Formats: sequence, C-alpha cells, structure tokens
Amino acid sequence: MVFEIIDVIISGLINGSVYALMAVGLTLVYGVTKAFNFAYGSFYNMGGYFAWMLLIPLGIIGGYFSVFFAAIPVLFAVGYLLEKVLVSPLRKYDDWEMKVMMLTLGLSLFMDFGYQTIFGPRIKSLPGMIEGTLEIGQVVLFHQDIAIFILSVGGMLCFGWILKNTRTGMAVQAVAQNPAGAQIVGIPKDFIFAATFAISTIMVGLGGILLCQKTFVDPMGSTDIMIKAWVITAFGGMGSISGSLYAAFILGMLEAFVGWHFGMIYVQIATLTLLLVTLAVRPRGLMGRE
Amino acid sequence: MKTLKFLAASLAIFMFVGPWAFAAETIKIGVPLAMTGAYAGSGDNYWKGIEMATNEINQSGGLLGKQIEIIRFDSQEFAPEIVMQGADYLCGKMKVASIHAGWAGWGQDIRAYGKYDAPFFCDDGAMPSVDVYKSDPEKYYNTYFITDTGGDQANSMFNMLTALPYEYPNKKIVIINTDDTWGMEVGDTLSKQFKKIGWKVAIRETVPYGTNEWGPILTKVRRINPAIIHIEIPSSQEVITFFRQFIKRPTNSILSYGWSITPLEVLSTMGKNADGIVGEMPAGMPAPVAPNAKAQAWVDKYMDIYKHSIPAGSWIAYTAVMAWADAVTAVGDEYNFKAVNKHLKEAGYEGLQGRIKFGENNTWHAQPAAPIVHYQVQNGQLVALYTDPPIKPYKDYKFQVPRWIKK
Amino acid sequence: MILILGGFYCVMGILPLFFGNTAHIMNILIMILIWAVVASCWDVIMGFAGIFSFGQVAFYVIGAYAGAILSVSLDIPPVFAIIVAGVVTGMLGVLVGLPCLKLAGPYVALVTFAVHMTLIPFLKGPLGRAIGSGGSQGILTIPPINLLGFAFSSEQLVPFFYLTLFLTIICTLILALIIKSYWGTAFLALKDSENFATSLGISAFRYKLMVFAITSFITGLFGALYAHYVGMLSTKMLSMDVFTILMIMMVIGGIGKYPGVVVGAVITVTISQLLAPLGMYRPLIMGAMVVILVLFLRDGVIGLAQKISPLQRKFG
Repeated sequence: MVFEIIDVIISGLINGSVYALMAVGLTLVYGVTKAFNFAYGSFYNMGGYFAWMLLIPLGIIGGYFSVFFAAIPVLFAVGYLLEKVLVSPLRKYDDWEMKVMMLTLGLSLFMDFGYQTIFGPRIKSLPGMIEGTLEIGQVVLFHQDIAIFILSVGGMLCFGWILKNTRTGMAVQAVAQNPAGAQIVGIPKDFIFAATFAISTIMVGLGGILLCQKTFVDPMGSTDIMIKAWVITAFGGMGSISGSLYAAFILGMLEAFVGWHFGMIYVQIATLTLLLVTLAVRPRGLMGRE
Repeated sequence: MKTLKFLAASLAIFMFVGPWAFAAETIKIGVPLAMTGAYAGSGDNYWKGIEMATNEINQSGGLLGKQIEIIRFDSQEFAPEIVMQGADYLCGKMKVASIHAGWAGWGQDIRAYGKYDAPFFCDDGAMPSVDVYKSDPEKYYNTYFITDTGGDQANSMFNMLTALPYEYPNKKIVIINTDDTWGMEVGDTLSKQFKKIGWKVAIRETVPYGTNEWGPILTKVRRINPAIIHIEIPSSQEVITFFRQFIKRPTNSILSYGWSITPLEVLSTMGKNADGIVGEMPAGMPAPVAPNAKAQAWVDKYMDIYKHSIPAGSWIAYTAVMAWADAVTAVGDEYNFKAVNKHLKEAGYEGLQGRIKFGENNTWHAQPAAPIVHYQVQNGQLVALYTDPPIKPYKDYKFQVPRWIKK
Repeated sequence: MILILGGFYCVMGILPLFFGNTAHIMNILIMILIWAVVASCWDVIMGFAGIFSFGQVAFYVIGAYAGAILSVSLDIPPVFAIIVAGVVTGMLGVLVGLPCLKLAGPYVALVTFAVHMTLIPFLKGPLGRAIGSGGSQGILTIPPINLLGFAFSSEQLVPFFYLTLFLTIICTLILALIIKSYWGTAFLALKDSENFATSLGISAFRYKLMVFAITSFITGLFGALYAHYVGMLSTKMLSMDVFTILMIMMVIGGIGKYPGVVVGAVITVTISQLLAPLGMYRPLIMGAMVVILVLFLRDGVIGLAQKISPLQRKFG
C-alpha cells in the first residue's frame, strides 16, 4: 500500500513538472504583456516540429544538444517578430486584449493547419532524448522524467530568481506593473514587451521539444495544451512564476490521486472544480497580484 | 475532295459530340471522410482502399464503360449538421451513385443518408448506428455496414483470448477503454463475457482520449497482477505511452489491444518493442502472408502504392467499392437504386477471400470471406494467429509468449 | 442598424424561392440564421457589455441537450420543450454570471470556458446519462416540432427555414431593443467609465446579470431549435469548431458593432463553404484571414462601412 502511494506521488510529481513546463511561458507572457495568446499550443507544437525536422529528415549531428542550441535563437526570432508585427500594432486600441485574443485565435488556426499541410495530419514521434530507467527498490523511474523534472523546476526557479534579482528582471517587472511609469523611468517598454514574448516563445517551444519526445507531436493537440497551461496559470495567479509552479504541482498531484482513487474519468471534473472553487474564494488565483 | 469533306464532317461531329460524350462519361461516387481533425488518420485509411478500387476499375475500362469520379467531402469532426450537409451535398446536389465512407457519424449518418436511396456504405462499428437502421429498415434500406459492431467484435476478441494456447495464471482481467461508443461497447461486452466464465474484472477503467500519464492506473494494475490487460483506445498516442510505461515494470499479463493495434503509428513507432501484444482487425486481410494468390497480389500492390502495411478499413473499403461496382454492372444502370440495392443485399459478392454476403441488419458480419483477424505483433509486424468465424488458427503461425511474462 | 437588419432579413426571406429545392443550400441558410443569433448574443455580451465570456457555445449545447432531453425523455411537445430549454439555460446563465461578475477579464473567460470544458465529461459520463444525455452516443431521435398540426423538421426544409427566420427576427429585435434602449446606454457608460457610471447610480452588476440571463436564454432557445432541426445530438458539438467559427463571425462582422456580426455570419459561412473543397487549406486560409482582418480592419465589415460611408453619423 505504501509503495502504491509512493508511486502515485511520483506520478503526481511527473505530472507537475510537465505542467510547469507547459505553463511557464504563458504565465510570463501574460503577466508582463497582458496579451492572451490563443496560439500558445501552436507554439508548443512549433518546438516539437522544429525538433522533428532537425532530427529526422535533416538528421542533424549532435542530437538534442544541437536541437536546443538551434532552437533558442530561432524561437526567439519568431516570437520577437510575431510580437512586433502582430501584437504591438494592436496595443493602441482600447479593447486590445480582445483583439489580441481574436488575432491569436486566427494565428493558431493558421499555424495548426499549416503544420498539417506541411507535415501531414498524423502524429509524429520524436526519438527519446535520454533512454533508460533508474530503479530504487520497487520504484522505477524513467531518466527522461527525472530530466524533465529537473529542467522544469530548475528553469522556473532560475527564471523567478532572474526576475527578482537582476536589473533586467526588475525592468520586466516594472513594465508588468506599470507600463507608463516604466517608460517614464526610461525602460524601453516596447522592447521589453517584444523580448518577453520572445522569451516565452522560447520557453514554450523548449517545453514542447522536451515533452513531445515523452509523448508525440500532435497537430490537433494545441488547444488542449493551451487550456492546460491556462488553467494552471489562472490557478496559480496570472503573472506569478512561483504561483504557477505551486499550481502545476498541486494540480499534478490532484490528477494522480483522483485518477488512482476514483478513476481517470473524474480527473477533469476534479481539476475544474478545484479551479472554480479557488477562483470563487480567491479571484486572483493562489498568488496572483492584480 | 470527298475524303476531305468526310474528314471535316467527322471532325465537326466529333467536336460537337465529343465534349458531351466525355462529360457524360463519368459515374460519380461520394466519399465523406474526416479529412481534417482528430479522425483524419482513420479517414485516410479508408480513402486509400477506396482510391485503389476506383483506380483499378478506371484503369480496366471503367464501370459500364464510364470512368468513376470521386467527389470528396470533409466530415471534419462529425458535428451533426456537417454530417447532414455532407449527405445533402453528395446525394442532393452532386447526385452521386453511391457513397463510401468509413467512420461516418455513429448514428447521425444513417439518418442523414437514409433520406436518399443511393447505396451508403459505412463502418461505424457502433450499436447506435444499427439501432437507427433497425428503427425503420425500409427507410434505411440503402445503408450497408461493412463491419460488425463493437459488441460483436468484442465477442470475437473474447473467443480469441480464451482460445490462446496459454495457461492463465489467474482469472483476473483489467479492462481499460475510452469513453466513446466504441470503447464502452467493447468494454461492456468483454466484461460481461469474462464474468460469465467465472473471471473477475478487477478494474474497469474508462479514460478520456489524450490520457498519456498512466501512473495511477499502472500502480493499481501492478498490485493486482492480472492475467489479461485489455486496452481499447482506437488512437495511437495513448496506447503507445501506455506500453512504454507498462514495460518499465511489467506484470505477467497478456496485453490485449483489441482494435487499438491497428493505427499505423503503433507499429511504426514501437517496432519490435511491441512484440507480444495481441489485437484484432475486423474484415481484415490476414498478414504477413495472404490467404491466396489473388489476395497476395492485392497486398503487394497496396504496399507498392502506399508503402506501408494494410491498416484497418483499407481492404474492406476497397471491397465495398468493388461489390457496388459489381452490382451496378449486373443491373446495368447506376441510378436504378432499387435494383442495385436489391442486388447488393441478395446476391453477395465474390471478394478476394471468398464470397461475401450481407447478413442481418445489412451488415457484413464476420464471415469466412471477410473474417475478423486476430494478430500478434511478432518481429515488429502484425502476424495473423486466428481468423473468426469460426475461430481457427491461420496457417501455421503460432502464439508466442510475450517476453515480459516470466515463468 | 435597422436598415442593415431589415435588408438582411428581406433578402433571406426570399432566398427559399430560389433555393427551396436544394437541400444542401437550405441547410446552410438555416445554420446561418441559427449561428447568426448565437453569435449576436455573444457579440452583445462581449462587445457590448464588455464581459469576456467564453461560455456561449456551452449555453448553446446546454440548450440543445435540455430541449432534446425534454422532448425525448419526458415527452414534452417540442414547442414547449424549446421554450423551457431556453428558460433553463437562462437560469444557468444567471448562475454562471453571478460569480463571474466579480472577476477580472481573462478570469471570466476562464470560468465560462470551464463550464464548456466540464460539459464534455459531464454529458458523456454517468451523471449525464442519468438525466438522459445518451452518454457518448448522444441522442439520436429527436422528434420534429409540431405546431398547429404541421411538423417542422429537417425533412421539410423550407417551412423550417421560415420558422427559424421568424424566431430569428424576434430575437434580433429583442437584442436590438436592448442595445438601443436605456440599458444600452447604460452599458456604453459602464464600458467607457465604470466608476463614473456607477456613481450615477447605474448598477453594473444588475445590468450585466440581465445580459447574461437574456443572451443565455436566447442562445439556449436556439440550441434547442438546432437540436430539433438536426434531430440528433452528440458531444461533438462541443469541439472547438463551433467556438472558432463563432469567433470568426464576430471578427469579420466587427465586435460590438451590433448587426455586424449578422453580416459576419453570412460572410463566414459563405467563405467556409466556398473553401470547403480545399480541405485542409480552408482553416489555414480562414486563420490567415482572421489575423489580417484584426490587424487591418479593426472593426470588421461594419467598421469598413462606417469609414467609407456617409452613414457614419447614424452609427456614431
């Protein structure tokens, strides 16, 4: 019985790190730019397809190392350009939040079906990054899962630290809290918006690469990814990285335990109920500030 | 001069009659499939069979001397009004002579196409579809189900599992299925059948599509150590991730994948790792060696064109087109729907594996000429162990105890 | 506004004369009408009252299922079933609206979308089946609407079209009235400057709740109408397709510019049908269209018309 619970806890931790990886990009971009990116899931898949393209048809040497190396600048560029060309022109309107939402909805349609046109509608499998398992007594862990856990938690903590303790990080926070004020003080607001969007694209893209090799690259899966990230971000509090981290693990654990005790079919209802109850009591989410 | 006049006249006549002749030279068939969206993969499988049959007919002179023209319709995700639109577009507007579909709407399609008379071939594999047919067999007389329902296929799976030359260490079975019609039908049927012979359904778990983290379920499975784990999810992602996580610390269980073994990605992704898993394909073409020379030639041709092994649906969709063409040839007029439907229902068709006949509820029930084939993955390939009905071993292929089962 | 609406409905009214015999086109026309109303409701909530609700599709489906269950399981004559379904949905709308109004923008979207998301496992699962939703099979035999001895259903498309047109005109008038009335001005005031408006005694809460109630009622009503039209329901209605297409209608028509969304509905469905033979390229092109439209044609078709027409003053 004890081992079962340990197993379930481990499942919960795995879930949590996966969710953390999925959500961090959204929390960042929403927290700072307040732009709701409907195409978030499509960016996730962009990472997956990028990796697939490099690894399979092009057979790049150096495996995943090269993929990550190449992905970072490409994702940054794509994110930056998209923000500059598509998002910032909308900022001057009053209802720009809605406009951004609509635009990114269109963008996600375009990207998703673009993928289907170029790569075909079937799912794609990425070769595993790290093979092998680790056995500790009765418990068996995939090296892959351990790596994902370390990278996601580490990445988020690192990020949180950068935001709080470096000049750039504080500039980003300033822009998030008060764009006009930040500009007055000399912080290049537009650049920060674009850069944040770009960095969040990198994070969601990398998250996509990591997670797609655990599962698959699914062109129709983008909405689910976006919804998951959205739920976690809202639960944790929009704009709070530590909040998202807690949220990811709480929800991951909830899923594991509800799935184990009641059955997988109740997981979604449980998650949504928890979310709704939390928002009813604490509309800002766990650690949101607004 | 006379010759010239003759030639000019012939040319004129040709030019006048020619385009008309060419224009009238096609017989249209409607093909509503999921071209985009979550079901596109399966839609693609049926498409290949239909396309292959059509090309074959066209290349050998056409049907009644005319070429067959395919009119496609994207059923997307089978929202009710889209299914209806498809029917009205294909039958009402384009006036096709028959409709060939695979998964078509699980009940909504029967109603939509029942308004018309053109033969409608579908492969929903679902009781609700058959129920709609049964509610008014006269109105829906033009509907043809090219495979059995989930319940009937599950009975066959049960037959296979109890016929395996393998001694089960206990009488516990774990059943995992999706929350849609197919999953529920198969799950319910297997559950009922195993309970009847004194087994215990230790876990019956219904999961949504998209479940990729199997930890909680596998934890319970490992505690129970069932003799059989049956997982019925007609989609590749979930069953692949399940296997990967299962094999990390496997139990001494037979893994029965049912129809879930058929999506192409399952084998193409797992390859030899999947060795040992058993599954089934309705109206299947046994592999790796076909039952007879003609069938083998067909298999070779398919693999030559499409470069992969035969997925579920391709062969039977091909056969449906051929059977319809056969009926039209016998009747002589593709639009004489009453006669064509009568011929289809009564005459049977000589397919690659024998003579196929529609049975109760206008269904091509599993029969020797269109059997349910039970496979095991061996060496990264689907190898037919049994055909059903009647359940009997196929050629000399033997069941191999999966590598993860320790004595 | 009246001009556009009037023109639109007159044209729609005579279309069956040309297309009455083509089932395919009549289907599309009926769906345009139904969706135009649902999209209009969404437009009123989002564009007009400024509430970021993502629950419109959920209410549509709730109305559809409620209507179907009432007709099938409880044998209530469809005419009443549809109206009751509308009322039920309206009440649920209020229930959902209550907590929403305390939340900020994207949170409202999330909560309302959560309703949408919860519907799927609910309808498919044991709870849903208990009230007659048919689980994952859906409901397959919904009876036609019997009014004054005449059966309206998808078997007789032209009469059904006129029934729908009739209901559409009524609901549209209701929506138009809301916008043009005192309530309408109140909303505009709330949108422009909530604090000031509140200081004048305008209760944001009450008005927003009213909007939730009315739009949910209408949406539910039309959902039930849809159910009796297609005669069969399944949870496939909850896929993102409907959501996306409704949003596109609003983008094309112009959010917040009322009759725009109706025009948007026609344009969207027409383009969608025209592009249909292109299979996979259709959503691709539509997605690109949306992006371009949002960037360059900020208020959709109505915005364009406003810019180039001297009627500018009338809408201003």
